Amino acid sequence: MIQLAGTGLLADDLYLLAHDDVSGRPFLQPRALGLGLAGGLLAELVLAGRVRVVPDVVVADRALPRDELACNVVGLLLSERDQHEVGEWLAYLSRSAAEGVALRLAGSGYLVRAPGRRWGRGGRWVPSDSDCAFAPLIRVRAVLDAARQPAASDVVLAGLAVGCGLGSRVLPLGPAGGRAQLETAVRQLGPDLRALIAQVQAGVDSAVLAQRM
Amino acid sequence: MSQIGARRSRAGGLSRALARDRLGVLAVLFFVLAGVAPLTVAAGVIPTAYQTTGLTGIPAAFLAVAVILGIFAVGYVAMARHIQNAGAFYAFISQGIGRVFGVAAALVALLSYSFLQVGLYGALGPAAAAEAAAHLGVHASWWAWALLAWAIIAVLGQLRVDITGRVLGVLLTAELAVIVAESVAGLAHPAGGNLSFATLSPAGLTSAGVGTFGVLAVVAVLGFVGFEQAPVLAEEARNARRTIPVATFLALGLIAVVYAGASWAMAVHAGTAHVVAAAAQEGPGLLFGLGGGALSQAAQLLFLTSLFAAALAFHNVVWRYVFALGRENVLPAALGRTGANNIPKAASLLQSATGLAVIVFYSATGQDPMSRLFFWLGTSGGFGIMLLLAVTSVAVVAFFARGSRGETAWRRLIAPLLSAGLLLTIVVLAVRNYAILLGVPPGDAAAWAFPASYAAVAVVGLGWGLVLKARRPELYSVIGFGAQAVTTRLAADAEEGSR
Repeated sequence: MIQLAGTGLLADDLYLLAHDDVSGRPFLQPRALGLGLAGGLLAELVLAGRVRVVPDVVVADRALPRDELACNVVGLLLSERDQHEVGEWLAYLSRSAAEGVALRLAGSGYLVRAPGRRWGRGGRWVPSDSDCAFAPLIRVRAVLDAARQPAASDVVLAGLAVGCGLGSRVLPLGPAGGRAQLETAVRQLGPDLRALIAQVQAGVDSAVLAQRM
Repeated sequence: MSQIGARRSRAGGLSRALARDRLGVLAVLFFVLAGVAPLTVAAGVIPTAYQTTGLTGIPAAFLAVAVILGIFAVGYVAMARHIQNAGAFYAFISQGIGRVFGVAAALVALLSYSFLQVGLYGALGPAAAAEAAAHLGVHASWWAWALLAWAIIAVLGQLRVDITGRVLGVLLTAELAVIVAESVAGLAHPAGGNLSFATLSPAGLTSAGVGTFGVLAVVAVLGFVGFEQAPVLAEEARNARRTIPVATFLALGLIAVVYAGASWAMAVHAGTAHVVAAAAQEGPGLLFGLGGGALSQAAQLLFLTSLFAAALAFHNVVWRYVFALGRENVLPAALGRTGANNIPKAASLLQSATGLAVIVFYSATGQDPMSRLFFWLGTSGGFGIMLLLAVTSVAVVAFFARGSRGETAWRRLIAPLLSAGLLLTIVVLAVRNYAILLGVPPGDAAAWAFPASYAAVAVVGLGWGLVLKARRPELYSVIGFGAQAVTTRLAADAEEGSR
């Protein structure tokens, strides 16, 4: 049963935020979307206390999460013997994050598969309900408003969204000082979540600079 | 994700998976050569240089400068391995000499690459106008074509980030093939029947005094500009420690041979004594005339695509600098933001605006586009790059003076010192002979205005760097880190917090 409150999963909200609420078209280049969603998936685990990323990426709680996608991510983290920096994990997870999150959203009823319009083109994921798909944008707005007390997960959602290049979609909707307010809110997050947001932004920026999106 | 999860349980799976997505030597080499734009230099720069400077030592200069740049590159690629944001000169200078100098270097680099980019419209316009008049019967002035090219680049800059890849690779290969074919044809038909090696002789480097070498070196460096771009892809390259140096040295060697060969063939075909007059008469035709018929036609068409690719490549370099500087808050933060689809709209738009202003200025004042726009701005851009190469060499020495980081003495000290000495000497010689470089009488305003423009932006940069240091220490501390400014600042905060 889909609802305006969404699935409560950060990467799901970020996915909906990064796509048009009616057509399902992405607002980001594939690599930026992947990095943002990879950040979202790790942030879900950090928020649940299962994973730490500072100073090293470690699985703090070896019990597997109930969600299948989160379970896969934890499985990947545990299966890798070498130590890797957060940035490398993000790059690695980004390769399949969009597909994984889309399948999860489809499983909970928020996305449906629309057939490709042109011959030879694969289908596209389209929101099943555009109001539900638009709802994360409203949650992000709350973060930009100094008068409100946003939840940590919403701050991370807004931070990741701006970090991976959705600033021009998210910020104009908020009040004038939205960007500064968001920066203040992000600074109050724990070191792991701040590191994730910064690493996503750095990854997307270097992809932009290398012109490989 | 589930499929990958099942497959990947061995150690090192992550590294292997990431390596598969990354670029090899050939891909990096093509990226570098796209900016170098060999045909733009062979058909545009070389004939104009013969004509404007009146010097015939150009082929020898390409070889001599290739050696100097090779020595420079030893320290350059060594330091690139150890720093963030290694695609930009100001990153080397910030992290080697200091951030105040880094800001000055950033502005000098912006001015240099802007000169190079905008100057290309001065060759694109006339070349396109000539082609259209000859083959399509369309007669429009050079600036109309320059504006068309400008508009395409401006629009592409607003629509896509990643306009590189296969098309450019194919064009580039064709360009190189055409230059080699033209050169061989020229050498096979020498003037007077004798193959003369005179222009390859080191004697030509100082034919009209030592200062001649300064002028020739600027022209040669202009031809090589773009070779320094390989570290931009450091994070995208497979085994970057090896890939980036190999691509850099391959590019240098390849273009040295191609340029020296092409400029030598032109002198051989026209006759060493007549090549300057022939260049004045024929312009790019000096190269196209070496071979006949279809080859010449193909070369003229590829000259257009090469100019366009070069204008696009330098447009990309400029917005890359502007974007990174915006991200670091050295320039207004709005320039470091992206719009829909991660396109750095503001940074790209800024460079487009500069291009438009310059094209309009040159057409309104009726100045000759090929010599005054293409060659003057081009050589001045090359001169700015030479300044940066010289200061970067000093930065390499300073950087490794604080710790060898496992690099040999040749890489961290001897080679960069040698290149710093050579490049600084060339800079001094070039400044003193700038009038010859531009082909104007000594004392002409243009001969001091261009070098002075660099001094002016450097002073502004130093001042702004000092202001940032005093007023915004949190921004100052991450100057030169580019995309990593945000993570570097966070790490610094964390360290401070733990103390």
